[in-house]
Amino acid sequence: MAVRVAYFDFTCCEGCQIEMTNFGDAAFLELLNHVEVVEFREAMSEKTTEPIDIAFIEGSFSRESDRKRLEEIRERASIVIAYGACAATGGINALKNHQGDYKKAVYGKDSEMPHLDSMCARGVDAAIKVDYKIHGCPMDKNEFVRVVSHLLHGKEPVIPDYPVCVECKQNETVCRYQLGDHCLGQVARAGCGAPCPADGIPCEACRGFVSNPNEEALEKVLIENGGLSAERAKYKSRMFAANHRSDAVKE
Amino acid sequence: MACGTCNCNSPEIENLFMPKEALITETKWMTKDTKHFVLKWADGSKVSHQPGQIVEASLFGFGEIPLGFATSPTQENSFELVIRQVGRVSTALCKLEAGDTMLIRAPLGKGFPLDELRGEKVMIIAGGLGIVPTRSLINYITDRRDEFKSFTLFYGARNPSELLFKEDLVKWRSSKDVHYFETVDGCCEEDNWKGNTGVITTLFKQAEVTPDTKVIICGPPIMYRFVMMELYKCNVPHENVYVDLERRMKCGVGKCGHCQINDKYVCIDGPVFKYSELDSKEEAL
Amino acid sequence: MSVKFIKETDFNDFVGKMMEARTVVGPVAKKTKFVFGELESVDQLRLDYDVTILPPKKLFFPPRQDLLKFHGQKGTSCICPQPKVLFGVHYYDIKAIDQTDFLFNENNADQNYLANREATTIIGTTIQNVSPRAFFGSVGKNVNPKGHDGFLTRINGGWVFETLTSKGRDLLDFGKFIDADDAQKAEAAKVNTEEKTKSPEKIKAEGDVVAQKVRKSFSEDELWEEFAKDCFSCGSCNIVCPTCYCFDVQDNWNVDQHSGARTRSWDGCLKADFAECSLGQGACENFRETKGSRFRHRIMRKAVYSNEKLGGPACVGCGRCSLSCTADIADPVNVINRIVEG
Ligand code: SF4
Ligand code: SF4
Ligand code: FES
Repeated sequence: MAVRVAYFDFTCCEGCQIEMTNFGDAAFLELLNHVEVVEFREAMSEKTTEPIDIAFIEGSFSRESDRKRLEEIRERASIVIAYGACAATGGINALKNHQGDYKKAVYGKDSEMPHLDSMCARGVDAAIKVDYKIHGCPMDKNEFVRVVSHLLHGKEPVIPDYPVCVECKQNETVCRYQLGDHCLGQVARAGCGAPCPADGIPCEACRGFVSNPNEEALEKVLIENGGLSAERAKYKSRMFAANHRSDAVKE
Repeated sequence: MACGTCNCNSPEIENLFMPKEALITETKWMTKDTKHFVLKWADGSKVSHQPGQIVEASLFGFGEIPLGFATSPTQENSFELVIRQVGRVSTALCKLEAGDTMLIRAPLGKGFPLDELRGEKVMIIAGGLGIVPTRSLINYITDRRDEFKSFTLFYGARNPSELLFKEDLVKWRSSKDVHYFETVDGCCEEDNWKGNTGVITTLFKQAEVTPDTKVIICGPPIMYRFVMMELYKCNVPHENVYVDLERRMKCGVGKCGHCQINDKYVCIDGPVFKYSELDSKEEAL
Repeated sequence: MSVKFIKETDFNDFVGKMMEARTVVGPVAKKTKFVFGELESVDQLRLDYDVTILPPKKLFFPPRQDLLKFHGQKGTSCICPQPKVLFGVHYYDIKAIDQTDFLFNENNADQNYLANREATTIIGTTIQNVSPRAFFGSVGKNVNPKGHDGFLTRINGGWVFETLTSKGRDLLDFGKFIDADDAQKAEAAKVNTEEKTKSPEKIKAEGDVVAQKVRKSFSEDELWEEFAKDCFSCGSCNIVCPTCYCFDVQDNWNVDQHSGARTRSWDGCLKADFAECSLGQGACENFRETKGSRFRHRIMRKAVYSNEKLGGPACVGCGRCSLSCTADIADPVNVINRIVEG
């Protein structure tokens, strides 16, 4: 019997979902032979309340009112996977956790409207138990296929927990630091295959940090080798890893 | 065989990583998460390992794990493995049943130094899953008991329901071939346990251990330190102590580096080491 | 076997002819650095390189290599060597290849490496430019490279080509080689002796003294933690090292969910979970839990542990680890000198 999967989205740009409908290639279509998609907001309209084998959740948990919906999903699903940076770590949404005035900056005079009320942006694991995370902004389709493939066989997926440097070196990419630039690869979780440094762009740690990031050394290296000012070096990794940093806002 | 995916004509080159098929003839859950397998080589070959040697057991798609042979080569036509469901590979392997095939690379590593043990007083101290690989030696000794001066066995498990090889235990308890002592860390009323409770070192009070005894230890890392303290009190020198460290392997053939403890490779220099030859106990235990 | 000479003006023609007949891998530029890559045109070849990002081990032991392919539970081997000429290897890298040749062969011969190695013709070359962190002149001085098939030395007006095996001699067919005269041979010998003095960094003690003192420092935990304070556990120092060869093995299915491959990929002992294993019931044990203990293991492996079987330190002094460490703590010269000087 095909494995029943469903997709749900919370606070995010829905880019990961689009990314998925964009797959359109043989790999993804072949995967569809093994799964039955019962709910997918971007691509189909029917919705179910039936049990689900795997629930994929996209987007961060940033409004208390979402908690109930998340709990319902958890109830129905045997496996919950947070996919994409927002769901996995709060992602870029968590930038606002450190800014008091973001509403005014973003919405101007409408900023006091009640539906714009939100709390800190966090990964969905702040509300419910998450079994696995597929990191990245957007998530990596190869990793997605691999994780699903492992789950189809009842095998716990292998999620890398080492820095992006490993992949850069294996690709023989010239290190950003050797080109007078900076990078966050030393603390960023690998698994993406390090495409950004290969294209000449520093890693922004869109997959969040590894489990044991050396934040202190990062700050030092960003200043001494990366040429960043002390101020920039200190906050540089907030873009995607706000909730992984030791100064993450908890509530 | 050519790889089949390109046009290479390479003649048959032996691949170190190619497993052999073994047929599972019997299985039994020994505890709620630990399963016992009886296997024989699918090509009909006889068993050829030494007690204490290891296997890499696998299923394609899931990967490989190192395990110790649970049987002595004195049992020629089949061998046994015990697998506890702890990770990806072991969970998949535990789903196999009689009639299924398991993939195996074996025998790997160096086993117990039988030559150094023959004619001596031998003592085995096994904690938890440590009873599995040491059983290959226990069976060997009991099958050839007259080659050894005396044989003492300590076995400790967390609680009575986690004791493995229950049929063997019954035999050992009444056997004249082995001085058998057992203990459990703790138990509850339903266990109806009449034996010793307490950690394995409490058994030292019951047995006499002389300095000339050859001692083999296998168990969880934490156990070694406490057992070594007891052996020190009994004046057993480090040269007489052997440890079985099999839990840290990946490739099993001395290449991948994962099992390296200082300058030793557990998979080819061990898994059995003379305690006196491990220079840094810090990395080893 | 024989010592030949080829004029500078005939050299490109030689390389071109060789490329027509063989797959040639040599040093080529990548941005401001160099890598070993398959030559597509003669002018890509940069024999004036200082050091490549990855060592040539990648040709025999690729970063990702399928060991077995499988269909269901039936496996097939995929050892499939492709003949190549590895052209323009510095002597420290040849010494490193000698080590991996030995290590993949000892105890259990691993044909996944050895078959690729066997199919490769290795031609060494003089170091024309020196990497800023190299110290090849001060390590393993008594160990000479031996696994290559020929060696090219640049002298005035051309190249002296010493062939060492029949594989090396076969390349003579591609160029206008003549016998080298005594003056040319002497000049080549001088160039190759002098190049060993050109490395900018220096380990300040002989290998056996280093081995002894570094081993003794094993229990100085504080020192090792201090060395490793800024370590990211990124494993770059392992991955770029020509004498590191640890790997991980993972199985993956293809999209058909039936076939797949058992693949090995480079691993590194500096990575946080390298020595971790699960003990069951959720517990796991990491035998090198701290950054310091992992950092120490690499230095021990390079300077102490394998000296006996390799005849000298495992480190060949290429300086790649020093260049690749963004925290700039990996340099064996700094670590070893600090220990030997007390
Ligand atoms: S390259 Fe430097 S930071 Fe990275 S693991 Fe090695 S020593 Fe640590
Ligand atoms: S330890 Fe560093 S200098 Fe030595 S061989 Fe390895 S990469 Fe080169
Ligand atoms: S398990 Fe790979 S080297 Fe020992």
